[in-house]
Amino acid sequence: MIALLERLQAHLPFSLLQRQELHTIESSAKIAYYPNGEKCISAQSKPETFYYIIKGVVEVKKGDELIDLYHDDDSFGGIEIIEEQESNYDYIVTEELICYEIPKEILLQLCEKNDAFKHYFFSSIVERIEMIKAYNESAKMADIMVARIDDSIWHDACVVDADMPVIKALAKLESEKAAALLVKNPEGYGIVTDADLRKYILHTETENLKWISQIQSYPVISIPEGELFFNVLLLMTGNSIKHLPVMNENGEPVGVLVMIDLLSYFANQSHLIGNQIEKATDLESVISAAKRIDVMIKTLHYKGVKSRYIARLVSEIHKKMYARIFELIFPKAWHDKCTLLLLGSEGRGEQILKTDQDNAMIFEEEFVPKDKKRFLLKFTETLDAIGFPRCEGNVMVINPKWAKGAEAYRKDIKRWIESPDAEGLMDLAIFYDAFAVAGNVDIFKSLRDTLIKEAGEYTTFLPHFAKAVESFESPIGLFSRFVSMDKAHKNEIDIKKGALFALVHGVRALALEHGITKTNTTERIKALSNTGYMGKEEASNLIETFEVLNTLRLHTRLEKLEHGKKPNNFVDWRALNKLERDTLKEALKIVETFKKRVAYHFHLSNVS
Amino acid sequence: MFGALRNKWNRKGLKDERFDFLFMDDNSGEVVVFDCETTGLNPKKDEIISIGAVKIKDNRILTNESIHIYIKQEKQISHESITIHKIRHCDLEHAVTIEKAIEKFLHFIEGRTLAGYYLEFDVAMINKYTKRMYGITLPNKQEEVSAIYYDKKIPTIPQGNIDLRFETIIEDLALPKLQAHDALNDAVMTAMIYLKLKNTKSLRRT
Repeated sequence: MIALLERLQAHLPFSLLQRQELHTIESSAKIAYYPNGEKCISAQSKPETFYYIIKGVVEVKKGDELIDLYHDDDSFGGIEIIEEQESNYDYIVTEELICYEIPKEILLQLCEKNDAFKHYFFSSIVERIEMIKAYNESAKMADIMVARIDDSIWHDACVVDADMPVIKALAKLESEKAAALLVKNPEGYGIVTDADLRKYILHTETENLKWISQIQSYPVISIPEGELFFNVLLLMTGNSIKHLPVMNENGEPVGVLVMIDLLSYFANQSHLIGNQIEKATDLESVISAAKRIDVMIKTLHYKGVKSRYIARLVSEIHKKMYARIFELIFPKAWHDKCTLLLLGSEGRGEQILKTDQDNAMIFEEEFVPKDKKRFLLKFTETLDAIGFPRCEGNVMVINPKWAKGAEAYRKDIKRWIESPDAEGLMDLAIFYDAFAVAGNVDIFKSLRDTLIKEAGEYTTFLPHFAKAVESFESPIGLFSRFVSMDKAHKNEIDIKKGALFALVHGVRALALEHGITKTNTTERIKALSNTGYMGKEEASNLIETFEVLNTLRLHTRLEKLEHGKKPNNFVDWRALNKLERDTLKEALKIVETFKKRVAYHFHLSNVS
Repeated sequence: MFGALRNKWNRKGLKDERFDFLFMDDNSGEVVVFDCETTGLNPKKDEIISIGAVKIKDNRILTNESIHIYIKQEKQISHESITIHKIRHCDLEHAVTIEKAIEKFLHFIEGRTLAGYYLEFDVAMINKYTKRMYGITLPNKQEEVSAIYYDKKIPTIPQGNIDLRFETIIEDLALPKLQAHDALNDAVMTAMIYLKLKNTKSLRRT
């Protein structure tokens, strides 16, 4: 098959075709070359072929007005052919085009035979996203299969000599919390697992079992270090074994693989990482486990998991991690005399990739912590080691402003609300998003109650607080065109300033007004809907929009990391495919509408 | 003038009248781009493993009218060319004899102009058989894409060396790359180079 045509299979709607149907395309399609300025389809004409862009850019225009543009792997002309309509627009080549031309008759023939394929042309944006996710899921599975095993997944090897008494060997197994015993024989190794112990219990008397070597499975099936995951699974499944030793190049055991770990690795790594963090007895183990969270995020994202589920999972693991670090670093005397707070996106449970450290500590009023500075610094340095960049705004426990007694915080809260200035409003927003992750939660709860009560009493405060939703202009202009705000980022939009900020802050202001204690934006929207402030449909639209924006943000950050660039929030809209662009535009419009609603609700036009 | 003379002489050698069409004037407006995969680089000693060919008309590559023929091998294919072409013996199940392949190829090209990358080599490979079988060499007009590329490139770098490697040309012309290297895919890529060059007055320096 011509390799270029093979590429079709990876893209909608062609990924919906059967092998045989792709061959129909191969035997009828031509590869066409169009120099700049040529028209593929003229307005008020019926297209004769369905176009798939191999390389180049086609602009869709009505007169001089740019309506849309298509580039690599996009296709166009299909709906007009199926509906037998004239095209409303000119399709003009603006960057030399190499494309397939699939004859009209063939497209119609394929639509007749394949309902899913035909349906694609009439599907909504939401349906198309689901289709892409379904496809990605199968495509990325393959990547995991070609991964190789390493020491992050195996258990330490617990080796005993062949002539060790059974009970003594089992005691060693228990004390090392190992997965299985490896028995060193004069010639090679054997293995003792729980299954062999059953044998031992049943036949100790009758067979006079004394030595560990008498109950071993010998010789053991093993694999070398660096073996492919795929082969490991095959070997274990093929031999119906649940434990598999890993040998180094000298034939010495270095670890034991356990089936359940492998399976959860395939599902996702969260189970493994979570376990390692909980079992960790020193900071190093916590750090090394936490460092693997990024890999997990990447796998999940490319598997098509929604970003809010990834965020929830990451947030659960982070909570375990903070709790463990808290216990390992701070003296016992501190544990019920202080509260460790996660702030900002981490507090809202929305931080996916490590964007920054945002945390604070509240101490019980009477409590005087010893060596406070040293321990707090150690905490920050541990987060450094895991890879959390320090917070640019210095919202961290090493800043005395964010590590002090409860009454000092209470004074702050009152000042923020009674005489709001720019800094105070920001601090309040940060504090309202706080989540108490470790220590004595009650200390924090009483402060939060003060915050909500004060904000409710000072009616002039909330409009000032909400005003920030109007800080940045929307990056979408007339005729739904993207507008870049930043000269240094031509053709890019800042998805955080341009949309996420307004959405998160608008929801925050409304939640504060309604006294909602949830910190997660999605949860806050749900709570607002439950109070009746917002209709179910509007709420689910907002949640879906939040999801789309976050997914795009995660995607662009992952891509930048992969290319060794510093991750930021700029999305190059030319690099998005047609579907992603349409979705983004829709999301930006919903945020715009929501901003207007918030402005109206708080009468922001009266606030200077 | 000498060309015409040579052509006349060539035609006198034609032993099989069926192939008279090769010498007819061509009015199709089409060009055939082709590529051979061979067991080595010496036309005298080496054999053709496969032929891929595709027609071009106006600005279209007629992939729907392409041929891809595998040829039965008498000798074992060397390991080296197996790795280069990724052709294994089992791929040759639908292979035909070299005589059938040449015949099919000639019917495909008829009197059309031929184009290719380092075309002389491929033409020499084909000629080796047409000479033996029909007493002629290919009389078709020939266009060598690396030569066209050179001509359009040289004005921009008058005294420079021009890299004429296939991959370099593809990259310089910003054409999409194909992973697969077989005769047909190479012919399609060469066809893209051909179209692009025909549509370009002069190339930028790089």
